[in-house]
Amino acid sequence: MIQLTATPASALVDEPVHIRATGLSPFQVVILQASLADEKGNLFHSQAYYKANEAGEVDLQQAPSLGGDYIGVHPMGLFWSLKPEKFLMKLVKKDVVNSPFLVQIKLYDSNLQLTDIATTAPKVSLTLERWYVAPGVKRIQVREGPLRGTLFLPPGEGRFPGIIDLFGGIGGLIEYRASLLASHGFVSLALAYFNYEDLPAQPEKTELDYFEEAVNFLLRHPKVLGPGIGIVSISKGAEIGLSMAIHLKQVTATVLINGPNFILGIPQVYHGQISKPLALSPQSLSINALGLAEFQHSFEEARREASETSLLPIEKAQGHFLFIVGEDDKNLNSKVYAEQATQQLSRYGKNNWTLLSYPGAGHLLEPPYSPLCCASEISSLHLSIHWGGEVTPHAAAQEHSWKEIQKFLRKHLVPVVTSQL
Amino acid sequence: MFQLTATPASALADEPVHIRVTGLPPLQLVTLTASLKDEKGNVFRSKAFYKTNEVGELDLMKAPAFGGDYVGVHPMGLFWSLKCQKAFRRLLKQDVMNSPFWVTLNLYDTVGLQDFSTEEPIASQVVQRWFSAPGVQRVQVREGRVRGALFLPPGEGPFPGVIDLFGGRGGLVEFRASLLAAHGLAVLALAYFAYEDLPELLQEIDLEYFEEAANLLLAHPKVQTPGIGVISVSKGAEIGLAMACFLKQVVATVCINGSTAICEFPLRYKDLVIAPIPTFMERLQFDISGAVRLLHYRGDPRDKVNQRSVLPVEKAQGSILFIVGENDECSKSREYAEQALHQLQNHGRNNGRMLVYPGAGHLIEPPYAPLCYASPNLKLSSPLLWGGEPTAHATAQEHSWGEILKFFRQHLIQARSKL
Repeated sequence: MIQLTATPASALVDEPVHIRATGLSPFQVVILQASLADEKGNLFHSQAYYKANEAGEVDLQQAPSLGGDYIGVHPMGLFWSLKPEKFLMKLVKKDVVNSPFLVQIKLYDSNLQLTDIATTAPKVSLTLERWYVAPGVKRIQVREGPLRGTLFLPPGEGRFPGIIDLFGGIGGLIEYRASLLASHGFVSLALAYFNYEDLPAQPEKTELDYFEEAVNFLLRHPKVLGPGIGIVSISKGAEIGLSMAIHLKQVTATVLINGPNFILGIPQVYHGQISKPLALSPQSLSINALGLAEFQHSFEEARREASETSLLPIEKAQGHFLFIVGEDDKNLNSKVYAEQATQQLSRYGKNNWTLLSYPGAGHLLEPPYSPLCCASEISSLHLSIHWGGEVTPHAAAQEHSWKEIQKFLRKHLVPVVTSQL
Repeated sequence: MFQLTATPASALADEPVHIRVTGLPPLQLVTLTASLKDEKGNVFRSKAFYKTNEVGELDLMKAPAFGGDYVGVHPMGLFWSLKCQKAFRRLLKQDVMNSPFWVTLNLYDTVGLQDFSTEEPIASQVVQRWFSAPGVQRVQVREGRVRGALFLPPGEGPFPGVIDLFGGRGGLVEFRASLLAAHGLAVLALAYFAYEDLPELLQEIDLEYFEEAANLLLAHPKVQTPGIGVISVSKGAEIGLAMACFLKQVVATVCINGSTAICEFPLRYKDLVIAPIPTFMERLQFDISGAVRLLHYRGDPRDKVNQRSVLPVEKAQGSILFIVGENDECSKSREYAEQALHQLQNHGRNNGRMLVYPGAGHLIEPPYAPLCYASPNLKLSSPLLWGGEPTAHATAQEHSWGEILKFFRQHLIQARSKL
């Protein structure tokens, strides 16, 4: 009798699942499929072909996929290779607290034609819950003064290291990374800064005072450990994260994922002082074979003509940096920018940084097992932006960097208590 | 007063166009776009960003594009980087005789991220791209079992004869045959399935059908004897190579990205049946776009168990030219060609040659044809991935076309001079 097991059946979305099939014929080739529907009903699917061993078993921790959406031994491949039915649709969980994503795992005989799978019942199937919060995490909407966002508190008594979570040019409020970090013991403030509630829809400048207020708000919170806080930031958010680390000594640990070492597009203002941005050269936009727009060279001209003063003065920051770079980033020239920033630190005799550079990873590095979103449509521009990344190495980068991010934040935000006897 | 010129305004689709702009301000950033609508109403577009020189001129033969659909000096870049709005559409001219593709070239005096198709250009030119030349004749062929279209060059002849075979797409594809006729060859675009009363699906290769076609071509009063050529791509190239091996009438064969062993279904020729190398559905891979990569799907022709499926190239009496795209995502073209050449060497033959193009994909077509990333096929619900990096693929098409014409002239004219 064919059996399919997947444990744990209910877990955090960044926890691995052990999938096994037993009771097959020896060396039988089977198709494993995963599917999920997001909150709007958009469907995502993945599939892989496996061959059972002599005992008629397939253990995804040991068996290689022979084909499908990924090949080789990848226990979580069915999750991170999920592809949308609607091309370029990104998988995003909006309600991170009240419901999980339900992932169906199905097993089919490989004798089936690919075209028949949709209309044939699987030999066996099961459903898994993938949660974005751990039990006991509290979600609190934030509307303090100008601040707009969501605060996630880990369960339990006492104080926890605090972090601010910043996403990029997409705007709005994205909560899923903050809710996961709270599940791992961080007080996390998912902070919106444009295109959300009464925040400006399309800001003409970035007001760093807003972010300073967010830092002070977080440090005032009774559950935040202090005396410093951390930042986890990506893309445009990482420009802001870097700037916060430079100006605010309370920022002691900053994670910069695929960000620039200069100001993108619109100026920054802090305490009345204006810092000028570098302008994008639209003529340097590159369109790839699939018609996707690649922007990673679009700041080259401005950078060539600019002086050193237009680079952010990272040497002034007092905290520590973790640079996370996807080498296949097609949106920002992340590797070049991160290397230039770390070289600048080295020139000033500082070694308060670590750079993790991932070959094959793209711009949108997310928590582990998130499917690669390689491009997104921007309807206002009739463009689809290529983020880059190859499916398998991008997944490996997400898995590795997530652990490193948490290690880094704990190391610099939680004081080491040494017993002195 | 500024001017946009594109010459020649009307030409064969494999001829280059010289695009120039004059009379603009010096060092001005401009956008050039191309667009065409195919016979099914699909719109294809391309764009590139340029800068005029110090006298306000732009010559695409000298100036580099800074960005857009291609980068660098590519005089024909606007043509080969044309992309369809709808994914996975292949640009393919159906009516090759009566109408050209009309390509509209537009000039804008700005650069930007906007959709230029909604803006008024400051200058515009339309060029005609034809797939046949004046005097080329098209004859529908329905004789015996043979189905296709014969393209005859203008004049008395006789002309070297060539059979043109496309691949797993089926039906009848005429544009390459008609272009070759414009270059002085008598070409039979030959259908073999999914056309008229031919079988709907390809389930075996009946080589006698192709022999019938070869004999039919040779019997035509305007076709040279005693030998013909074959130009073939993809699945067609597997058949083309089989023709070269078994039919003495075939004296010059071009195989583009084909297998050199029989795959998927058997080949039959008189008493001979060649069993196919098996395919492994579990080795299908899905690309990020959802297109299917067939690259690893077929068994290995170098595997001992598959030797009976490998075509006996040493039996071919004529010359063979293998055209290989190294970035072919559908077929291990380089490995196949190398195995065939190795086989020829082992038998003391030197009638085979390979041209390998780095960066080129599976569908190597005549020059300036846009790269097709993937396109639908009859059997699978997902499109098939072809592979190829646009710029390298365009270079391969330009170079290989010249080599193909040289190859046919060399080996088909020689046959005549032996008389």
